[in-house]
Amino acid sequence: MSTINFANREINFKIVYYGPGLSGKTTNLKWIYGKIPEGRKGEMVSLATEDERTLFFDFLPLDLGEVKGFKTRFHLYTVPGQVFYNASRKLILRGVDGIVFVADSAPNRLRANAESMRNMRENLAEYGLKVEDLPVVLQINKRDLPDALPVEMVRAVVDPEGRFPVFEAVATEGKGVFETLKEVSRLVLARVGSGA
Amino acid sequence: MVEPSLVLYGGPYERAMDVLEETLRETGARYALFIDRKGFVLAHKEALWAPKPPPLDSLATLVAGNAAATQALAKLLGEARFQEVVHQGERMGLYVDEAGEHALLVLVFDENAPLGKVKLYGKRAAEALARLAEEAMANPPKLNLDTQYREEAKALLDELFGN
Repeated sequence: MSTINFANREINFKIVYYGPGLSGKTTNLKWIYGKIPEGRKGEMVSLATEDERTLFFDFLPLDLGEVKGFKTRFHLYTVPGQVFYNASRKLILRGVDGIVFVADSAPNRLRANAESMRNMRENLAEYGLKVEDLPVVLQINKRDLPDALPVEMVRAVVDPEGRFPVFEAVATEGKGVFETLKEVSRLVLARVGSGA
Repeated sequence: MVEPSLVLYGGPYERAMDVLEETLRETGARYALFIDRKGFVLAHKEALWAPKPPPLDSLATLVAGNAAATQALAKLLGEARFQEVVHQGERMGLYVDEAGEHALLVLVFDENAPLGKVKLYGKRAAEALARLAEEAMANPPKLNLDTQYREEAKALLDELFGN
């Protein structure tokens, strides 16, 4: 649920980038950070290991601007993708308003995608949430890999019912990055005031 | 949804600001923040003499992440929670205490603030803020955001991200 601060006239939304290890969650945030003009973004915080693997989370605040007198802000988070970091991954999901699931196109990561989605369902369930209750956008990343699997095949394992909007991406080149963020933002905003 | 959102405005907000201000005065701390457990700043106050604070969003996010991890640790050890946490550097220190179930009090202090006072008044402030938080949770304000809000927000999305 969005946090609304009436005194400062601020509405804050929390968007979490989820997905298996090395699928490109941090790369998404870094691209966004690099492209958003000064004044519309805060500092990016990364808690990473020496080899730049996310250890706890990355964090990036974005200012959308003022809407009907309310400053509207998105807080973007990534989770650490590695399987054994589940305890901290679960913490980041607390209070989430929308999710971007970043799936990897590599053939040998297909199972990791499925595993990560299953893990996300389990972690949300601990907060009493279902994936179906939240705005979720699926980003199929690394489309530039020579042996990238067909989009439909990746989608079939993480979203067999074809429920989520899908975007193809090459996050290292920024392809699909803004499109994904815009869609999840749109979905999150659509729930404001609609009683959800 | 995941958890009730803490909303602070009007009377409770003013009183929270008063609590923060008084706490700064009593402890000699530099900055006082009232944040929710998701890492959003609900209210903050800076001492007039203090230099410009670090980015408060970053501070709040890291403190909330830290508090979440600490609480998870407590649970692993069979405790519901740990008491307040003090991080002490060579010059700067950080005091974090629970203000009820959904919020945290954060005090940033330097070597001029006696730790005993920070802890004593920090604890009192956390209790006062916990009551305010409960009050705010019990009486959530009506949200008068309508389709117009959504339309305007969408237009800003287009502006920021391109069509």
